Amino acid sequence: MRRLITNPMIIKELRQRLRERRAWLLPTLYLLVVSGTTLFAYYLVIGEQAGGTQREVQGADIGIAIFMTVIFTQLVALLLMAPVFSAAAITIEKEQRTLPGLLTSLLTTPQIWWGKFVVAVLFLLLLLSSGIPLLTLSFAFGGVEPMQLVEAIGCTVLVLASICTIGLWCSAMFRRSVHSTASCYGILLVLGVVTAVIFGLLVSHWSDVNNNSAQLAPPAYVQAPLFLNPFYPLMAILPGSGEAFTYPLPSCLLFAAIGCLAAAFAMRRLQRSGEQV
Amino acid sequence: MIEVKDIHKIFRGGRGLKGFSLNIETGELVGLVGPNGAGKTTLIKILATLQPADSGSAAVANFNVSTAPASVRASVGYLPDVPGVYQDTRVDEFLEFFADAFRLKEPRRSAAIERALGRSGLEDRKHDYVEQLSLGWKQRLLLAKILLHEPKVLLLDEPATGLDPLARLNLREQLKQLRAEGITVLISSHILADLEDICTRVVFIADGKNVIDAQPPSAAGEALPAAIRCQIDFEGAAAAADSVIARTAGAKVLERKDGRLVVELQGGANEASAFLRDLLATGVTVVHFDARGPGLEERYRRAFADRPS
Repeated sequence: MRRLITNPMIIKELRQRLRERRAWLLPTLYLLVVSGTTLFAYYLVIGEQAGGTQREVQGADIGIAIFMTVIFTQLVALLLMAPVFSAAAITIEKEQRTLPGLLTSLLTTPQIWWGKFVVAVLFLLLLLSSGIPLLTLSFAFGGVEPMQLVEAIGCTVLVLASICTIGLWCSAMFRRSVHSTASCYGILLVLGVVTAVIFGLLVSHWSDVNNNSAQLAPPAYVQAPLFLNPFYPLMAILPGSGEAFTYPLPSCLLFAAIGCLAAAFAMRRLQRSGEQV
Repeated sequence: MIEVKDIHKIFRGGRGLKGFSLNIETGELVGLVGPNGAGKTTLIKILATLQPADSGSAAVANFNVSTAPASVRASVGYLPDVPGVYQDTRVDEFLEFFADAFRLKEPRRSAAIERALGRSGLEDRKHDYVEQLSLGWKQRLLLAKILLHEPKVLLLDEPATGLDPLARLNLREQLKQLRAEGITVLISSHILADLEDICTRVVFIADGKNVIDAQPPSAAGEALPAAIRCQIDFEGAAAAADSVIARTAGAKVLERKDGRLVVELQGGANEASAFLRDLLATGVTVVHFDARGPGLEERYRRAFADRPS
């Protein structure tokens, strides 16, 4: 266990990544995007009030709107970045011919994998934590409890970690970063879009069978494809959508299982990648 | 120190190792020579635990490569044919990382890094980024890196590729020094002149099999081979020397210049010695006499003449 924490791979990777001359650029752009969408959400809610909707907009409505906007914008942005950080992590070692040096050292394949994984997740966590002050803005307006913030961040971290393991698996499978990154985005597309389409078809069929009973939440078997959707755990725990999506735990467990499987396959592949180098 | 028995590793297309065997004693510096695709890199990768063999056995420092890979890695320093470096790290950070990767603890870790910097001659450039080093310096850094954990065996796959003549000479000197320190070295190379200079033994490989186990002429105490090439530098007319050549059975003039003859004799050291005595007895003023067996290049040509490269 101590070796996993004092892993030389982590020190090397962090040093290389944070030493990049444009290391500051990505967090800056990220915060600009998240801040921009937060402002947009704020003015949208205020605009509803100015537009004279039936109900007066409460502070809690603004708080929830800000919270939901920030947390989903963060998830979208980080999901788009996760393959970049993870899917090239091992292929870059193959491309710059440094993998044989690692494989013939006394570093074990779990140590190499762990070093790559920790650094990919840490960079995403850095971005995620830089958005927390924006998330806490919602507390000033009300409507969101601190526990919901913790749960939302927990779900986001779980999903991102799982996607990173998939990225690392792709990275262990392919020789070129471009191929592994494209494959990881492909898998992400399947998880994010294809599951939603399947869910849509199942809901449509289920509504027809149940005489369009829109007030009922779809049963577990209808929601099941969405358990693999990266947005589902958040949708199931956040205020406002909890009535329709009611199974956060199976979805979280599924993502944890996918992460463990991808990690096992990646390590196995890495062990055999002496053939590739 | 290295023992390979009837090892097989076949790739798609039929290339690979097909029953290759090798035995290297402690302190030997053995060259592995053969055409492209002969199986040199595959053999070295198997010994470095990067690839599993299909059958046969291989052991390094008495550890089987398939059953005790970690022990083999602790005993081996491996330099691949196209080695990579982390360009965006500093020289000392690069060495520190690999010292940690080989689990060196203080004070051994610091001593190993200092020794590596000294060995590579990079003490003054230890804070430079690796990308600032020339290819020759990078090769020195890599050689220093693979020696960090004080391995008993070095596996070097084409280490001189791309190096300029001076860097090649430096590499040769370093390898001679390592041999003197008792490190066993297996080196694959196409540069036969380098191998001839540094190796105690050269192993030929073709189509994944042993071809010939040739002792280079520089090795001490060996018997000269059946055909021997003599270079004679003399003063005066060549007629007396020609008469000696004419009465020596099997002698053939290979080259003739003013004051120099290159003659091939059948036999070995005794025949060469008798030939020299005959020249002197006939009154030829010999100023230089050099008898050698065929060089590595000649042996290579003989071994692989009928094989497409």
